Amino acid sequence: MLFPSVQFGIFFPIALALSWALMSRPALWKPFILLASYVFYAAASPIFCLLLGGVTLWNHGAARLIHESASERRRRLICTVAVTGNLLQLGFFKYYTFFAQSFAHVFHNVGLGVPLPLINIALPVGISFFTFQAISYTVDVKRGLIVPPRLMDTAIYLSFFPHLVAGPIVRAREFLPQLASPRDPRRVAVSAGLTLIAIGLVKKVVIADYLGRTVVDPVFAVPGAYHGPDVLLAAYAYTAQIYCDFSGYTDMAIGLALLLGFVFPQNFNSPYRATGFQDYWRRWHMTLSRFLRDFLYIPLGGNRGSRWFMYRNLMITMVLGGLWHGAAWTYVIWGTLHGVGLVTDHALKGRFKTPAWLRWFVTFNLIALLFIVFRAPSIGVAWNLFKRFGSWGSPTLLTLPVVLAIAVTIVPQLLPPRPFQRLQDWAGRLNPAILAPALGVLILFVAATVPSDGVPPFIYFRF
Amino acid sequence: MPPEPKQPKQPKHSDDNLMERFEVAGARKFRARDAIIAVAIIAGILIVCSGSSILKAGNEMNHGIGRDAVLAVGKPAGWIAGRLPLRSAANTVTDWLSPDPNLSGLSGFNDEIATGANAGVPLVTPDAFNPSQLGDPAPPRARLHTLLVTGDSMSEPMDSYLAQTLSPDGVRVIQDPHIGTGISTTLLVDWGKLSAYQVQHYHPNAVVVFIGANDAYSMPGPNGKLVNCCSVEWATIYAQRVRQMMNTYRQDGVARVYWLTIPTMRDPARSKITNVVNAAIEVAAEPWMAQIRIINTVPVFTPGNHYRDSMTINGQPTIVRQSDGIHLNDAGSQLAAKVVLDSVDQDFTF
Repeated sequence: MLFPSVQFGIFFPIALALSWALMSRPALWKPFILLASYVFYAAASPIFCLLLGGVTLWNHGAARLIHESASERRRRLICTVAVTGNLLQLGFFKYYTFFAQSFAHVFHNVGLGVPLPLINIALPVGISFFTFQAISYTVDVKRGLIVPPRLMDTAIYLSFFPHLVAGPIVRAREFLPQLASPRDPRRVAVSAGLTLIAIGLVKKVVIADYLGRTVVDPVFAVPGAYHGPDVLLAAYAYTAQIYCDFSGYTDMAIGLALLLGFVFPQNFNSPYRATGFQDYWRRWHMTLSRFLRDFLYIPLGGNRGSRWFMYRNLMITMVLGGLWHGAAWTYVIWGTLHGVGLVTDHALKGRFKTPAWLRWFVTFNLIALLFIVFRAPSIGVAWNLFKRFGSWGSPTLLTLPVVLAIAVTIVPQLLPPRPFQRLQDWAGRLNPAILAPALGVLILFVAATVPSDGVPPFIYFRF
Repeated sequence: MPPEPKQPKQPKHSDDNLMERFEVAGARKFRARDAIIAVAIIAGILIVCSGSSILKAGNEMNHGIGRDAVLAVGKPAGWIAGRLPLRSAANTVTDWLSPDPNLSGLSGFNDEIATGANAGVPLVTPDAFNPSQLGDPAPPRARLHTLLVTGDSMSEPMDSYLAQTLSPDGVRVIQDPHIGTGISTTLLVDWGKLSAYQVQHYHPNAVVVFIGANDAYSMPGPNGKLVNCCSVEWATIYAQRVRQMMNTYRQDGVARVYWLTIPTMRDPARSKITNVVNAAIEVAAEPWMAQIRIINTVPVFTPGNHYRDSMTINGQPTIVRQSDGIHLNDAGSQLAAKVVLDSVDQDFTF
């Protein structure tokens, strides 16, 4: 169920009203919100509710065992088994087809037949997100950062519908305390929530989908039909599109959660303002960055060792971070190149005195160019796109609305007072009686920009 | 006996979650009742200004609980919106924002419900024969200038592969997929009108059509009564609609049309429907075999109407279908594009 859809427009008001009606009675509210979240998930594919339930039981069971065990060795063993189980199910759904196809080619070429059935496994929506949350939960219990709650609370934490399918990746220690006592019905950030929903809707439907439809999709589908300027425009357009698409989803998720009385962590902080790769990853998909830092980079040794040891850890983290996005070499290369960027950042730190604007210029353009690799359907297409920079013809896709859409995404992130953030903070203090009609009218206008095919899925749904 | 519960430690990185940011920004707090009222106001505005869209969205959905729920809201919402002037006012104010082509004034399916009930024996014209079937020499190949690739989601990403192959040779390839649409329904788009718009707008001298995965909707018959899928009557109406599109695309014999049939699907119930769709496509093309090529994908992907996920391509075992058992994946689409190109190559140079 997409947030900007008629189905969700019917589902949410009912869920909101019932949620607050039952909030003061946790014995009723908890089963209700769990059921509502599973109904939300079942709209995509009912069968995968079993998977979500299985992941919940597996991690809850492991967390209880870890918590009740006095032996550190046993705790580590249980945690390892639990995390391995999570990664195996994630790997099966996400990477089976990729590996089955790759093995089939290799084995077939040496006359050994096809080792694995060649079938295309359906990817459960949001599997990467709820699996990562489950891992963070189990590991945080192992580290003694949280005490495992009752099964019902674990189930709500993993399935809570605003963050279920595309994050943000909420840590248990951020969410479970909010379940400990009913949310206060006199302290709801209604206007902040409505404002975020409005901003997210405009980002996704008006900017991201428009740029995708008019510039990005045509260029990435047929690179040969366009010259260098159009490819460059497509790179900038995709840079704006993916930000608006993903941060738009996140804004809506955070806004919906606020209306329900819950706070989620921040996921974006003006990422195109970054003046280096390290800075970028502190601003882009922040909840994934800190997951990779806390559950991969630091366990690998982090920066506790020689410089080369740290570089190795950075590279491993970023290559796996790239692979997390999907079973394709383009993601691996994208992650690797970001790793190289991070290593270079560290290697050059303090060696040269460069102005901030130059560091921003280099970082922003490198990130935009690397998005070509990320978005391309194959390495061949990515290579063709880069080759088009050698063909310098006149741009055919450059129009005022396209330039405006890109500019309105990127420029406000660079301005020191961050006008959109100030506007958002201001709107968060308005009375909902003013905001609600404005949002209603806004939705009418936004809906008018949707083509007859409907709203395309969020880009991060497939991850 | 389990040990005493351990007290949670302080998180190591409490600086990066920004959980207090709404407090810091001074977000004003209201009552939960205000949240419900605000959402109710928004819902009310949407119902009075655009209630019929909810009904339309419900009608476009596949049968099931979700559709029933949307229709349960959509029917009264549509009724309310229909009795208030706000709907047309909202349409007037927002119409200019629509990215869809303007199809008004074009002839659609419902304007020409053809029944096949013409009196007398229909005339056979020379267009009914493909010269190669008669052993005649094929007409000289023309230069391919503009190729339109269209259809529903089946046409993606085959359209990209065709464009990637033909664009370097100077062929203008128009990719115009319309996801979720079908010939048997005019809810999302009326393909009778859309095909006319495409011809007027793009002037293609060849058209590739791959559509039919969503087709099982009831269609109005000769008396305006709905005919359910997939009887002979339904197939007749479907074939008539396909024929109307083919006639539009062939542009009085000037252009060539390459119409792909639907490969067998994993779900036997869906496959029954595609068998009827494929039969109707074959029948529809009969008057114009000189200009219309039916590209039968069944022997290519699912010989004997037996579904398969993978097949051998260039000596390599390769997955060709998506996980839904309906669509072709990248490798399958590439193969479909190659089959289409082989056929286009017989009529055109590029």
